[in-house]
Amino acid sequence: MLARVVRIAVVVALLALTVTLALAFRRDPHDIKTGTVLKPAPTFTLQRLDGSGEVSLADLSGKVVVVNFFASWCLPCTQENPALVRVYERYRGSDVVLLGVNLQESRENGLAYVQRMGMGWATLADDDGRVALSYGVFGPPETFFIGPDGVIAGRHIGPIDEATLVTAIETLRARAVR
Amino acid sequence: MNGRIAIAIALVALAGALVFAARPHDITADERIDQITTELRCPVCQGLSVKDSTSETARQIRDLVAQRVREGRSNAEIQAEFRAAYGDWIFLSPPVASWSGLIWLVPIFALVAGLVLVTGRLRTIDAPRPAEPSATQVAALRERVAREEAAEG
Amino acid sequence: MSAGDLGAAALRAALFLSLWGTGASIYAAWQRDARALASARIAAAIGFGLVVIAALSMMFALATHDFSILYVAENNARETPLFYSVISLWAALEGSILLWTAILAGATAFIAFRGTRAIPRLATTALAVMFAMLTFFLLLITTPAADPFARLALAPENGNGPNALLQNHPLMALHPPLLYLGYVLTSVPFAYAIASLILGEGGDRWLVATRRFALISWALLGVGIVAGAWWSYAVLGWGGYWAWDPVENAAIMPWLTSTAYLHSVMVEEKRSLLRTWNLALVVATFALTILGTFLTRSGVVNSVHSFSLSAIGPLLLGYLVAILVLSVGLLLWRSARLRDAGPIGAPLSREAIFLFQNVLFMAATLTVLLGTLYPLVAEAISGAQLSIGGPYFDRVEIPLALALLFLMGVGPQLPWHGASRATLERQFTAPIVAAAIGAIAALVTGTTALAAVLTYALGAFVIATVVQEFARGVRARRTLHGEDALAAFSNLLRRSGRRYGGYVVHVGIVLVALAIATSQARTVDAEQTLAPGETLAVAGYTVRLDAIRPVSEPQRDSIVADLSVTGNGASDHLRPALVLYPNSAAAIGSPGIGAGLRDDLYTILAAYDQRTFSWATIRMRVIPGVSWLWLGGAVVGIGALIAALPAPRRRAVRMPVAEVAVSAK
Repeated sequence: MLARVVRIAVVVALLALTVTLALAFRRDPHDIKTGTVLKPAPTFTLQRLDGSGEVSLADLSGKVVVVNFFASWCLPCTQENPALVRVYERYRGSDVVLLGVNLQESRENGLAYVQRMGMGWATLADDDGRVALSYGVFGPPETFFIGPDGVIAGRHIGPIDEATLVTAIETLRARAVR
Repeated sequence: MNGRIAIAIALVALAGALVFAARPHDITADERIDQITTELRCPVCQGLSVKDSTSETARQIRDLVAQRVREGRSNAEIQAEFRAAYGDWIFLSPPVASWSGLIWLVPIFALVAGLVLVTGRLRTIDAPRPAEPSATQVAALRERVAREEAAEG
Repeated sequence: MSAGDLGAAALRAALFLSLWGTGASIYAAWQRDARALASARIAAAIGFGLVVIAALSMMFALATHDFSILYVAENNARETPLFYSVISLWAALEGSILLWTAILAGATAFIAFRGTRAIPRLATTALAVMFAMLTFFLLLITTPAADPFARLALAPENGNGPNALLQNHPLMALHPPLLYLGYVLTSVPFAYAIASLILGEGGDRWLVATRRFALISWALLGVGIVAGAWWSYAVLGWGGYWAWDPVENAAIMPWLTSTAYLHSVMVEEKRSLLRTWNLALVVATFALTILGTFLTRSGVVNSVHSFSLSAIGPLLLGYLVAILVLSVGLLLWRSARLRDAGPIGAPLSREAIFLFQNVLFMAATLTVLLGTLYPLVAEAISGAQLSIGGPYFDRVEIPLALALLFLMGVGPQLPWHGASRATLERQFTAPIVAAAIGAIAALVTGTTALAAVLTYALGAFVIATVVQEFARGVRARRTLHGEDALAAFSNLLRRSGRRYGGYVVHVGIVLVALAIATSQARTVDAEQTLAPGETLAVAGYTVRLDAIRPVSEPQRDSIVADLSVTGNGASDHLRPALVLYPNSAAAIGSPGIGAGLRDDLYTILAAYDQRTFSWATIRMRVIPGVSWLWLGGAVVGIGALIAALPAPRRRAVRMPVAEVAVSAK
């Protein structure tokens, strides 16, 4: 009797192992659902890199806010920058706000990068990294989409492209209208 | 009798040493920081803990943990802050009270199942006093000794 | 004809020969046909030669920077030094599989010639299994799945160079080949086990035939793992030697089951019990090596070793499933014939201890297996991401390891069949006293963590039992043969190598356990930003930053921190560095290590002033006892060597009847 149980257990275990390993191929490394997604966006007040004042997330309630974490030492950030520039131009003056948050470098380095890459939107300094930690940032480039209700609707890890940006923004704007 | 006294003394000494090692002692702030950062996963590394990693992100997390400890937050509160931002992923050891906590059952189950299977195959012996061996038994013994020595070499 | 063409052609010819060999050996076993066996032998020999030629061709292509071959373009550059060019054979996926195949072909040839002479039918069937496996691997490297000789239409001017981590330390020459030898040689006992099941043999011949292979593969795997730990320590620069990384886990799982096997095999040899279990262990060990390969190369886990995603994942998974289905099917089919005659023995007998030890090893293996796979499962099913890392594995494995240490001392001291109370008292008085002394020694040296004190106590316990055994053995030889102590000692090792070599292995394991316990309990860290001339103090040592300077070499740029370390009688100059290879975005930390018998001084350059080199952030870690880890690994290897060497021929022993009557009591 015991032998029968052991046999069945072995067969079941092996089946489970095979199914597990086969399932493991389904993972998508860019789409991470845990953490701060679908939770209220942590508030922050950060200084601008060029020293011209500060920006507070609380002041932007009711708008669609795209927060992009970047750094000059981050190679994929330079790759995604043209897409960000185009999206910024497209939504300039509307209810969509693009914010850049500079990570883990001096303000001079960050500012030099911003000027070199032609980033016209508000770029802020997160000196001690606390804002990034509160958002659950893994590393630049990382982009968060905050809806008009102040909730993080989604995040994208890794360099982002124009299509993804526009789709996410338009989805959130449609929600605001309703 | 001497042997038994020696064993008794040795066991007492051993127990004493172990109790001393396991004694509860006041934990310093630095030790608390080490405790917490050993269990936090560095977000930008391959499975390293925040304590071990030399990356800037890990350093910033260590600073944050140190600040929270100074502010008097408990371990649970600090862990909750990181869980809110990163999810269970940030813990290198799954919290027991969660779905992933089921993994703690695996070693327990394996041990129990194994011990049950093994003890089912054992029996106790009564050891009769051996009699003087006969000539044929001696011959058989000799042969067996030779065979076993050959097998071991 | 270029090296690439030669290699590719050699592999394809080898594939054909392997197919031929499979068929020929099946026919030879089935029909007991000597000519078919002869042709299978030739196929094995020539096939091995061809795969070796292919491997050498790849090494030649790497050394001569032939960038028309894709593998060379991706893993080699003109600036790469010759040594690292050549060992880049195993730097990435395709080359690794080529190395694996070469070793497998060698094992196949060995069985074809040596094995089949000893036990023809069983070995020939095993040969067929080996050929079948060899065919699979040759298929992998002759198809786009993992073809190392795949060509580039347009050869680039310069290649990528090897992965930065893989050209930082000469240990890369040793760690993968040792590990692969260990992995691949587990296929020999497996092949014999399968052959035994196919032929329906009820006996233990397969076991005896593969005893040495099992021991050697276990030893190579173990030493390979220790070499990997050393690499992790000396190269990865995080200050540790084991991180429960998925690929580390993949290597230790077959080693754990292999260790269990080496012991339960003794029960089968002595008492003809546990046949099904031993067959299952052999299958499990081999299957775990394939699982390990799958986990490492399929891209399903992120790890330090991750090779890129490729089609090889599903193929390896399919291979693993086929092996499991075949083996488990055979085991279930034949299990009736292999059933044990009766109960195993008394609870306090050597057999029982070996069984408990097996349970502990299986619990340890299952924990590592499920701990590694669980995050995958959870994410695939629910999308939730979770981590299972060091803290979890440590909490489970350390108590299991302590229990195993205890059994390691108890097992060899108990007789087969069962022990009486008198035996127990006689055998364990000294070891228990030693355990107490060990615990006190731990406290005296400042090692006060509970697990560490236990390790010291149990380590002393085991050492005492080993000393006792050697003392008894020497005494017996002096009485029986009249040898002096030294001759008796060396003869114990030569003539009863399995037993006393095993004891040496146990001593090595104790050293490893003490190293781990000491380093985990007493490592101290300190990190500070220093300007040149400033110092940092930790654990009685003082580190002074002398200079920070850039160093340029053809294949890499580095920033080196010159450190002087004094204190506790030490005087060292250490040079931690941050190394930048052109093909890598991030700098690799290279630690400066001052190794010592008591402490290792481990220094890391964490950050530095990139503009004017006016400051550097230095982390200094004092790690006591870690050198015993490498020492212990070497002792384990030596012990395994002693156990594996055949005993010299001897003349018969004459024993007077009266002495036999006395010693039979």
